[in-house]
Amino acid sequence: MGKYLEIHDLNVVYTSDEETVFAVNGVDLSLDRGQTLGLVGETGAGKTTIAKAILRILPGRQSDIRKGKICIEGDDLLKKAEKDMLPIRGNKVAMIFQDPMTALNPTMTVGDQITEVVALHNKGTRQEAEKHTIEMLEMVGIPEERYVEYPHQFSGGMKQRVVIAMALACNPELLLADEPTTALDVTIQAQVLDMINNLKQKFNTAMILITHDLGVVAQTCDMVAVIYAGQVVEYASKLELFDHKRHPYTLGLFSSVPDINDESRRLKPIPGLPPDPTDLPKGCSFHPRCPHARKQCKLEKPELHEIAPGHFCRCHMEHGQEGQKWH
Amino acid sequence: MALIEIEHLKKYFHVASGTNHAVDDITLKIEKGRTMGVVGESGCGKSTLGRTMIHLHEATDGIIRLDGEDITHAEGKDLKRIREKMQIIFQDPYASLNPRMTMEATVREPLAEARRFSKSEIAQRTEELMERVGIERRLRLAYPHELDGGRRQRIGIARAIALNPDFIMCDEPVSALDVSIQAQVLNLLMDLQEEYGLTYMFVTHDLSVVRHISDDISVMYLGQLVETSPAKELFKRTLHPYTKALLSAIPSMDVHQPMQRVQLRGEITSAINPKPGCRFAPRCPYAAEACNDPQKLEEIETNHFVSCCRVHEINR
Repeated sequence: MGKYLEIHDLNVVYTSDEETVFAVNGVDLSLDRGQTLGLVGETGAGKTTIAKAILRILPGRQSDIRKGKICIEGDDLLKKAEKDMLPIRGNKVAMIFQDPMTALNPTMTVGDQITEVVALHNKGTRQEAEKHTIEMLEMVGIPEERYVEYPHQFSGGMKQRVVIAMALACNPELLLADEPTTALDVTIQAQVLDMINNLKQKFNTAMILITHDLGVVAQTCDMVAVIYAGQVVEYASKLELFDHKRHPYTLGLFSSVPDINDESRRLKPIPGLPPDPTDLPKGCSFHPRCPHARKQCKLEKPELHEIAPGHFCRCHMEHGQEGQKWH
Repeated sequence: MALIEIEHLKKYFHVASGTNHAVDDITLKIEKGRTMGVVGESGCGKSTLGRTMIHLHEATDGIIRLDGEDITHAEGKDLKRIREKMQIIFQDPYASLNPRMTMEATVREPLAEARRFSKSEIAQRTEELMERVGIERRLRLAYPHELDGGRRQRIGIARAIALNPDFIMCDEPVSALDVSIQAQVLNLLMDLQEEYGLTYMFVTHDLSVVRHISDDISVMYLGQLVETSPAKELFKRTLHPYTKALLSAIPSMDVHQPMQRVQLRGEITSAINPKPGCRFAPRCPYAAEACNDPQKLEEIETNHFVSCCRVHEINR
């Protein structure tokens, strides 16, 4: 008992007049301080929905957290009144959004935007808040003189650093980073990832890193959860997962990526498409694309089994697919 | 033999703050049946280079040759004939397809526009093309918004190969797709190349993809070519400091070996009113006095060209 963050049986749906989108379907995750958990999966797998559920910033009318618990130090966020979430958002839990171009207010100087966050959460004078903002900007490598500039005067990489400075301004215990480097070029991505890693160590922050880039996971995460159709299909430490991946989807995902160190020409993609979240397949949601699917897979939903200490896999084959090559 | 040759190609844009040297004096060749990967960061001019080559932009200066023919200033009928031979696949298949046209109509359009096929030929060819790129028959009357990104991109590909072009400029064709779909589309592109003997120019910022698909690779920085070489050679013997930094920045999937990164200072600036010297110098760990002079592309090994005055010292 007693991980810093514990998510238990989280279920989130999006509803509209015609249909119900089953975005997150029974997710369990946990995380300690100082650790980074990578959430890996394709578009629409439910990664961002999980992060937004933690902060309770899902669009109110169209979404519904049907079931589940999200506990920070044992305290269930889903039971809190909206006004009790305010001191948590941006303060205890902060989020770095994917697109720095749209995450900033174009009509405020970047300095004022960060100061606003600091002033809101910390009691202190305006001068103190401004001083703290300047420190934050310097930490992410933006000189003090640029405090008074507007977002459009910054490049993409710098805007993302402003967003990071803002997220870290209140020294959060939990940082949710949603594809923080996807919009950036590789050399800038490398700088930003280094910076996030350093800051995380300095402040002992727990971090959830959402990404589809397995290289980024390899370089930054401690734990990895592979998400498919709103479920965790495989969960393990990074080393265990990269060396002994067992779930057929994880195997397929890895073999789809052109590896920079591998010279073979043909890729081995996963056939077919991710399932329609309004109409998920019966049984295992991966079975229509799985080369090993049997009758049982079409009928029964597999549970998450612990197949090795700390290594969980959601597959009917008891030991997953170790040793079996994809295809 | 080279299908495409460009010599001292320039494309400048006039902007409020001066002249953007988007493509600045680039010389390169693409051999028949091969794939030239062009890599670089956003704003380096790689898409502009490709678009100027296929006449979507008028070149400011320089020569473009297709199969030995100078096409730099082609117009009217000539241009139409050339366009059949040079096609493009766009990055965003959603933005590049007409939302009011069905899949079938989209593929049929270039065939009808060519004005040399009968109705039945067009119908037959359309069906063949859709089958070839793997679009199910039931989707022939679907509109772009009804399809996923992978299928949309397949339609973009069917349209590009409709008139049997010699050359296709692929502008980040898989960047908008998820990895599992990306692999399907890359395989399709490689199969088509083999089948029809196509020549590709593959513009991307994704270095793992470019290594996978390319025979030759050119690296661009702020409108200029810094290194060009056969793909294998480039990864084995990286010579230009920018290429070194670029390759070392790719997050490796090897979890057992910590990355050895070349740290770069600052960020990519812009090619508006550039100074005469090496444009990478302000970020380069090896920058010296001589870097302020204009740089020349030098053949260091067979077919391996580098534009850096300190290349010999650095790679000793």
